[in-house]
Amino acid sequence: MREITYLEAVREALSQEMRENEDVFMLGEDIGVYGGAFGVSRGMLEEFGSERIRNTPISEAAISGTAVGAALTGMRPVLELQFSDFITIAMDNLVNQAAKIRYMYGGKGSVPMVLRTPSGSGTGAAAQHSQSLEAWVAHVPGLKVVQPSCGSDAKGLLKAAIDDNNPVVFYEHKTLYKTSDHVPEEAYSIPLGKADIKREGTDATIVATAAMVPKALEAASKLAEEGIETEVVDPRTLVPLDKETIVESVKKTGRLLVAHEAVKRGGFGGEIASTIAESEAFDFLDAPIMRLGGAEVPIPYNPNLEKATVPSVEDMIDSVKQMVHYDTWRENHG
Amino acid sequence: MIQIPEHLSKERLLDLYEQMWLIRYFDEKVDEFFAKGMIHGTTHLAVGQEASAVGSCAVLKEEDKITSTHRGHGHCIAKGADINKMMAELFGRETGYCKGKGGSMHIADLDKGNLGANGIVGGGFAIANGAGLTSRMKDLGYVVLCFFGDGASNEGSFHEALNLASIWDLPVVFICENNQYGMSGPVKDMINIEHIASRSGSYGIPGKVVDGNDVFDVMNAVGEAVEHAREGNGPSLVECKTYRWKGHSKSDAKKYRTREEEKEWRDKDPIKRMKEAMLEKEIVTEEEVEEIKQQAKRKIEESVEFSKESPEPDLSTLLTDVYAD
Amino acid sequence: MANEIFMPKLSSTMEEGVILDWFKEEGDEIETGEPIFEIMTDKINIEVESYHDGILLKKYFHKDDTVPVNHVIGFIGEQGEEVPDTPPASDEESSADESSSPEQETAAPAQEPETEVSTEKVRATPAARAAAREKNVSLHNVSGSGPKGRIHKADVLSSGSQGKSTPLAEKMASHHGIDTKNVEGTGAGGKVMKNDINALLAESSENRPENVTESLRGVRKVTAERMADSSSTIPHVTMDFEVDMEQVIRLREALKSSVEKATGQKLSYNEIFVLAVSKALQRHPDINITYDKETITYHNEVNVGVAVAVEENLYVPVLKNTERKSLSMLADELKPLIFNTREGRIDSASMQGGTFTISNLGMFAIDSFTPIINKPQGAILGISRMKEVPVVKEGEVKVSSVTTFSLSFDHRVINGAPAAAFCTTLKNLLEEPYELLV
Repeated sequence: MREITYLEAVREALSQEMRENEDVFMLGEDIGVYGGAFGVSRGMLEEFGSERIRNTPISEAAISGTAVGAALTGMRPVLELQFSDFITIAMDNLVNQAAKIRYMYGGKGSVPMVLRTPSGSGTGAAAQHSQSLEAWVAHVPGLKVVQPSCGSDAKGLLKAAIDDNNPVVFYEHKTLYKTSDHVPEEAYSIPLGKADIKREGTDATIVATAAMVPKALEAASKLAEEGIETEVVDPRTLVPLDKETIVESVKKTGRLLVAHEAVKRGGFGGEIASTIAESEAFDFLDAPIMRLGGAEVPIPYNPNLEKATVPSVEDMIDSVKQMVHYDTWRENHG
Repeated sequence: MIQIPEHLSKERLLDLYEQMWLIRYFDEKVDEFFAKGMIHGTTHLAVGQEASAVGSCAVLKEEDKITSTHRGHGHCIAKGADINKMMAELFGRETGYCKGKGGSMHIADLDKGNLGANGIVGGGFAIANGAGLTSRMKDLGYVVLCFFGDGASNEGSFHEALNLASIWDLPVVFICENNQYGMSGPVKDMINIEHIASRSGSYGIPGKVVDGNDVFDVMNAVGEAVEHAREGNGPSLVECKTYRWKGHSKSDAKKYRTREEEKEWRDKDPIKRMKEAMLEKEIVTEEEVEEIKQQAKRKIEESVEFSKESPEPDLSTLLTDVYAD
Repeated sequence: MANEIFMPKLSSTMEEGVILDWFKEEGDEIETGEPIFEIMTDKINIEVESYHDGILLKKYFHKDDTVPVNHVIGFIGEQGEEVPDTPPASDEESSADESSSPEQETAAPAQEPETEVSTEKVRATPAARAAAREKNVSLHNVSGSGPKGRIHKADVLSSGSQGKSTPLAEKMASHHGIDTKNVEGTGAGGKVMKNDINALLAESSENRPENVTESLRGVRKVTAERMADSSSTIPHVTMDFEVDMEQVIRLREALKSSVEKATGQKLSYNEIFVLAVSKALQRHPDINITYDKETITYHNEVNVGVAVAVEENLYVPVLKNTERKSLSMLADELKPLIFNTREGRIDSASMQGGTFTISNLGMFAIDSFTPIINKPQGAILGISRMKEVPVVKEGEVKVSSVTTFSLSFDHRVINGAPAAAFCTTLKNLLEEPYELLV
């Protein structure tokens, strides 16, 4: 199978959906001739024209609300925000309008829109262009939240998001855009709410999201060299959350580490940890649940400082060793 | 004396006249029930502002759409809503527009083109644009009326949305119901220009000021703006000067204004002015208008009975309707 | 009425102790003051002595069991006296019960059976609890391998039925076709350890023994954590300086017999070092400090800790108010202190309150080293061996005995200049030690 980048996979999903469904269109700042802040829509203006690749003024409040209104009246808009940090400016339309309309109206009307936006640190863009605020939107009933960790997932999940009849916030991690993997050429859909076990293991579970997934896989392969078999679970969507897969994994391994790039305090990892504590997996826990999250600081500019704000592969290895109570573990496993 | 457009039939006039009374009786009834504690939460009443809602919606076709505000009962009635379902919603009943989940600020009637009231000041601008965009992209030919108040014109969303509607030539008419106060804030203290309609100049779209208590003046201006939009010429801004007789919401002591001022505006009662114009032109008789008034009153009483008899929503409905399938 | 034996609380931070060894069996006679069992706390290993005369009637816990502070471990009483089958709740709990419901107590006297189930919480993971439920094992009888004695699932599985060998020993034994039941265990309670299997293999064949691994516990674990903490959080600066020891040697020779006469103890260099350090600290109060929670405390008294190695463990007993003590007083105190430490008979109170520490490696072939500060103290003095070297004195090369002293100090709170001044004072005091006697 051919390999393409995460970024190309996102573009391919968008293009295939737009060819398939006339109601689908894109709007966002600089998505036209420029091709989008990260180049996702490059070439799409030429194919689909300016009516469906709608270049907008710098008005996040207006364009997010326009997406809501268009979705409510029968379109399937895909809104691009240049950086997920700008979701603050679109927040009223997302939280007070899109998420609530169906419920407020007693089950009438729906808002089938997708808000695509690049998130996360690692590009030196500093405090206002590097955040991971997914826990905010995951907190709001009525929204769905997707965080793909690789191109093949991104393509299938984006199709599912566009086809979904609800507002979906679709996070694309900036540092993953350049990563490649095998992505089928034909259109396909990955259901929202289905976690993926990226690596199987028996001794500990790491639930990791977005850019933490490749790191968790690296940690798992290093731990395997020392005989510790780590299972890596990627929820892929925070809302809906595939609790079952996570619970089953922890029942098998007895140990849970949750890793996300977002600030640890109030991060979604707390939700996953609580889910386990409340579930039948509790009786299988053989170590306290651990969380790794971003430092409680704005993302700094200096590359070394920036790197130090987010959990590393080494952090994950240390945490897993701590959970398996490594010294005793080594003695018992020779 | 206000001028009645010649093309309006007697039947049409009495229909509009009844809508005005329905709005007034509906809101006065709600006011009374709030005072008695029979309706909870909060509500915002449009008594005294009936003409801007009725006049604006009078020029619309069935397929045209509106977005409304927190003070939205009037828009809803003028766009053809079912009074029973409205009142039942305020009573929080299962038979209400939102099955008791929305209340006063969230009544919507998508089938009738009412995209919903909105509890967020300025929340409707961009949604109206989105609906306008759908009309454009799907070539559906409908126009969207976006109601908002003087206070909302100071929200950033107003400016972003008018600009976007302008550059994309969206079929949206922005209707400012300037009722002189944003909650307690007098418009003269909050805006440093005489007419909010002048702001249209910043976005290169037509702007017009009308007497918001003259239902026909409103009809003429909005009618013109709707045609402008329907022909593909883009959005307009119409400012209706009016006055809300009641406080902002419940428990408003109205310390920010005087009794004299209130009396001045009550004298410009839009319903009375419409009636006088029709009597003056001898289109209708005293008996006929009185009959219309009583008919409206009965409909409101019936809606109250309907609501009282309607069941409370089952607790099992709490968790439904969050997501669409 | 039988008397309770309970887990003593040996320090303010102690929450539980591990029983290392029993010296008595049920039915043995015990005299007041006689050691009954040995325990390990997070700071120390200690023998617990009896407060009563009598017969050891009951032992509720075994070797390696972790027992919460104040929890009843057993009973001493007269032959034939009745004691409960399970350990009763600790004093604190039962007295709380009494005070909270006195009326009930009198209204319903002794109708209910005496069996009381322990309400003490055991530190264990949910998986360990589930395993214990399934295997019908009491967690009170399982020793935990995790932090603070936390019981993990593997601890439960390896306790109970198979019980008498470590998992690793079991694994090695099965690998080599050995039945652990036939192996004499050297571990606690005769538990078969990895080394026992290795010994057996070494005897029987050319099999080479495997490396020994050991998880840190008790004092060693605490020491390891404190060393790492000190070393990683304190910016250490170490200053070495040589001291001509000729005068110290002479001083000791001169005072030896009179000190021995007064105290029965032999005067050693340690006492002279403690005295010199105390005098020097008095003159340099900015070195006699502790630093904790961003606060420096300048101590009026000088309390000098002396590092003592006992097998693999490191202890630092503290001599209090050394600035007010003479050489004979110091000898009288320090000698028994070190002796008791080596015998494992030191209480944790004797290891607290130090303001400065001395680590003397003079008995080894060490010329200098970098001591690690004993937090929260500001400085530590390392003392290396005495050796004869050629020195130039008044233009002549002479042979003299010289020792290198190494002062490590916390550079967050002590600057180089005051530290150097302290070193200079100490060097002068040791090279002209008669001043110490003033």
